[in-house]
Parts: sequence; C-alpha cells; structure tokens
Amino acid sequence: MISGPQPGEVVLRHATRSFSVRADQARTLKGLVLGRRAPGPAPVPALRDVTLHISPGETVGMVGRNGAGKTSTLRVLAGIIPLQSGQALCGGRVVSLLELGAGFSRDFSGRENIYLQGALYGVTKPELDARLGRIVAFSELGEFIDVPVKTYSSGMLLRLGFSIAAHLDSDVLLIDEVLAVGDEAFQRKCLRRISEQIASGTTVVLVSHDAGAIERVCDRVVVLDAGQVAFDGPTTEGLLHYHRLMGTERGGGESLRQPGSAAVEVSDVELRDGAGRPSAVFHSGGSLALVVELRARSPLEAAQLALELRAQDGARVFRGLHRLSLGGEASAQLAFEIPDLSLLGGDYDLAVGAAKDGDEPVLERTVRFSVASAPGPEGIVDLRGSWRMLAGRTGVRP
Amino acid sequence: MLAYRYLFGQLVQRELRRKYKGSRLGVLWYLVNPLVLLGAYTLMFGHVFKVQSFPDFPIFLMVGLIVWTFFQQSLVSASESLIDQGALVRKARFPREAIPASTVTVQLITFAAILALLTPLALALRGTLHPAVLLVPVVVVFLFCFVLGCALVVAVLHAYFRDVGPILTAALLPWFFLTPIFYAPTRSLSFVRHHAWIGTVLAWVNPIAPFIESLRAILYSGHAPSWGQLLYVALAGLVALAVGLTLFRRLEGELAVVL
Repeated sequence: MISGPQPGEVVLRHATRSFSVRADQARTLKGLVLGRRAPGPAPVPALRDVTLHISPGETVGMVGRNGAGKTSTLRVLAGIIPLQSGQALCGGRVVSLLELGAGFSRDFSGRENIYLQGALYGVTKPELDARLGRIVAFSELGEFIDVPVKTYSSGMLLRLGFSIAAHLDSDVLLIDEVLAVGDEAFQRKCLRRISEQIASGTTVVLVSHDAGAIERVCDRVVVLDAGQVAFDGPTTEGLLHYHRLMGTERGGGESLRQPGSAAVEVSDVELRDGAGRPSAVFHSGGSLALVVELRARSPLEAAQLALELRAQDGARVFRGLHRLSLGGEASAQLAFEIPDLSLLGGDYDLAVGAAKDGDEPVLERTVRFSVASAPGPEGIVDLRGSWRMLAGRTGVRP
Repeated sequence: MLAYRYLFGQLVQRELRRKYKGSRLGVLWYLVNPLVLLGAYTLMFGHVFKVQSFPDFPIFLMVGLIVWTFFQQSLVSASESLIDQGALVRKARFPREAIPASTVTVQLITFAAILALLTPLALALRGTLHPAVLLVPVVVVFLFCFVLGCALVVAVLHAYFRDVGPILTAALLPWFFLTPIFYAPTRSLSFVRHHAWIGTVLAWVNPIAPFIESLRAILYSGHAPSWGQLLYVALAGLVALAVGLTLFRRLEGELAVVL
C-alpha cells in the first residue's frame, strides 16, 4: 500500500476471519500451560475472502440471513476486531453503532456518557460541548439525560447511542440492526438524519432486515451469504436477490394447525411464476400461480377452497371461497392463477384451506412471497386507475 | 495519540469517581484507606511482631508500605480493568492501553498525595533534609513506569486467561512478606546475619525492593541512594514498560473478541 485510504473510503481486500465458538470462552493459563485444550467445535468462518470497495459518500445497505457475516464485516471495518488475513482500511473518523450497550458506562448519566463516547473517537471536549445541545435534543430523552444509563430501556439506549453517533461528524458511519429497537417515529427520524449525513458526504454502511429502510437510504446493496459477497450492485436488484435467497430457504408452505381428521386436506402448496418455475419473488403486473395438492380420505365429488391473502402488517387483502368439482378423485392438484398481479412491493402471506362440499374450510397452509419493489406507486394494491381532466378554467382564483 | 488525551482524562476522572461515588467524603476515602492500613501495620510490626528496631518506625514503615500499596493496588485493579470496560473496547478503535493506564494513574494519584504528606513529615521528624530529596520525583517516575509495565501485562493476560487474577492475588501475599517493607535486608535481621546471601537476594532479586530502598534512603536515612540502586530503578522501570507495551500491543487485537 502506497498511500492510506482517503477520508470516507472503505476497502476490504480478501478479508478473512473466523471465530472460535468454544463454550468455555474464557481460557485459563493453567489450561495453556498444561496443554489441555479440550477438543471443541471447529472455528466458524465469519468472513471468507470478502473484497469490497466503497467510495467516499456512497451509501451501502448490507443484507443477508442471520450469521451471514454482516456484523462481523462492520466490526472489522470499525477496527474493533482484526482480520486473520486480508486487509481492511477505513479512511477518516469511523463511527459505529453496532451493539446497544457498547460504549456506555452504566453507572454514569447519559450526559456523561456523551462525553465518554465522543472521547472514544478522539473528539475533544470543546467539540463535544458544541454538539451537546443537538445530541440531547435529537435523543428526546429530556430529563432522563441526567439519569444513570443502567436505568435506560433498550429504546432509550438506542436513542442516545444513535444521537451521539450521528452527531460526531464522521467520515464513515457504520450502523447495525439496532435501529429496529426504536419506535416507528424514531426510526423515521434516524433515517432522515442518516440521509442528512449522506448529503453532507458521509459514507454510510447500514445493516438491516428492513428492506424498506435500505431502499429509502441506500444506492447500493451488498448481499452476504455464508461470509461471502453473493451480490453487489444497485439496491432494487440487490433486494430482489436477497428475497430470493430468503425464499429458497423457506420452501413450501408450513402448516399452521395440527393435522386433523378432516375429510379433505391441503397436503402441499407451491408458488410458481409465469414460466411455471417455483419462486418466492414476483413482480407487480407479472403472473403468479398457487399450486395446491389436495388429499381426501375418500373420493369426493366437490370441495370448498378458502384463500386468504394478508399483507406484512397482518391486514387482510383478500379472502375468497371457491367451490370446485373434483369428479370423484381422492387426490388432486389444483392451481389458482393470477395473470396480472396488482400487488405492490412488500412481503405477503397467502393461506389456503380445504373442506368437503358444504363445510366451512379452515386455513391450513401458508406460503410467504415477496413482490419486488419498483419505483412508482406505494402501498399494497396498485389501483391501476388514471387521472384525466374533466373541466378546466383559465385564470387564477380570486 | 494526542487526540486521545481527553479520553485518558475522562477515564481517570471516571475511575476516581466511580469508586467512591455518592459518598460525602468522596476522593478523601482514597487517602483514608491507606492511612488506616498504615496504623494497623505500625501496631503489628512495630510493637507486636517486632523484627528489627528502628527509630521513628512509622516513617520507616510508611515509605515501604506506600510503594507496595501502589504496586499491589495497581496490579489488582488493572487486572480487572479491561473486563470492566469491555463495553468501551467493543465500541471503537482507540488505544486500549488507556484503560489499564488510567487505573494505574488513579493509584498514582493516591500514592503521590500520601507521598506529598509524608515527605515534609519525614524530613522534619528525621532531620533528613538533603539535596538527594530532589531525586524523589525521579524515582517516582521510574516506579510509575515499572508499575505501568507490570499492569499492562497483567491486564491483557487476565483478559485472555481468567485465572491470572487469582494467581496474581495469591502471589502478592508472599511477595509482600519478601519485600523489605517492615524490615531492612541488612545484618540486623537474624537470618541475614547467618546467611548474607539472603540479604542480597531480598534486596536485589525482588524488583520492587530497590524502589523502596531508594526512597527510604532519601526520606528516612537522609542520603542519596547508591548508584547501583538508581541504575537498577531506571532499568527496571524502562524494561518493564517496554515489555508491558510490547506484550500488550501483540495481544490487544483480539480483545473485543475475548471480552
């Protein structure tokens, strides 16, 4: 390396790191001297040859399933843990918000902790004095700012931790999933503050499971899987990749109820895309087919099928009851086809249930799927309406 | 490094206040404890188990005792310091030495305060005003280096191997009795009279002994320490600090993982 990274630049070159996951984390000198190292599980790789370059001022969302190496990457970038091989460079002042309690002295008040955390990043007292008012105001902690931090709730810890991290004029800001602890209003406020930071040229790396948050803030998404970069590119594509990754793992629908002694039951469900391939990610306007396997105890002439669609927040989008002739079969494969999906970006649960003709079916199986977000209308359903002008009038209103 | 001076100040201040927070006497407790200890030891070793007889025994004893207390308290508090401050280590990339160094500094403040009380008292009572008194700060600086070096080793080792703390506590007890605190390793000790080499071992093998002997020469006996003692003190301080820093820097990387 000839010159160091410029402020705000983030570089990972062939970064590799694994962790020992032995139950007795605290080793003893006695054990070392006596050479008694009980065989434990092999070290778990957290990062495997990760190469990443983030230019100053870029905002990158990092997604992946639990244990994919997201937090490890941030801790390496923050300089908290070293790499076993490879190189990690982070230019300028790197501020991180990785763990809720980290950086706090529990016995000291919120106000005192502001000074301590600032000092951890090498910020001097006059600089902190100048920021104190803004930090306290942003945290909305009010009089609690003078109460020992050990009495704080996790939401309050997040408020203080984020307020400090967001007001230290960092070149690189690393934020882990902790934001999820905040209430909705504060999360929105955090995202707004992050975009202000971005506007002032800070490089931001945000780890989150909230695709909406990543979409609002980040231009670029890195998908990590098993310690490796699975995707690195524009946000929309990245999130699609991430949803696909999650979908494959989810497999078919899971039953929500105990298997009963019903006359007919749904034995399997699967979602397929327009080309007939199993999928968990769909596009607005594309086609979706729900394929259902029915099994009856005895041949049936007809069955009742219930179908229910719920949005992520639990709101019922659709519920329908259909009667289907089975023509005396004991088992059948059926498909519910939607040629032109009117759902907008988000995650949905589709539940299906069956009963013999005349009975009320209960929902037995659920499949989850995602609709890829696209620029344009937001919400659950695309109303597909359009505006037109009915009458016009020239001149201004009095 | 300079940017972290404020952090160091914060850690020292915090450590000072944390110990006796909420008590009315506050920092004064820092002085009360060693003084009570001194009273007890004066009674024990000056009257009950009298090994040697020295005029103005409390002053003789106190010089050794404050050096030892500084050494022992620093190591014990430094050994736990990294674990206590794990939340800070897991937060940011700052020089981790600041944590054990701040606990040692807090002990140094107590030590310096008592030494400042003791010096005029000793000079007045013993009539030992001598130009060598100017060497007191020099010895104290090397003592600080020595204690800091040892503290860095103990702190980082204890973070990795959690039995270092108990081993240290167990080692400090016999070490106390082998240190010339309430006796002098001279011929007036009965067993040194028969085996002169024991006196040499007591005076030179134990690295803390020359520090005590040097300060005692100046404050109690009123003469400069020998060149040998001064050289030993300087070397012990610098070597301990160098070893401590080297070991600490080699091991500090994984601290956030092991804490």
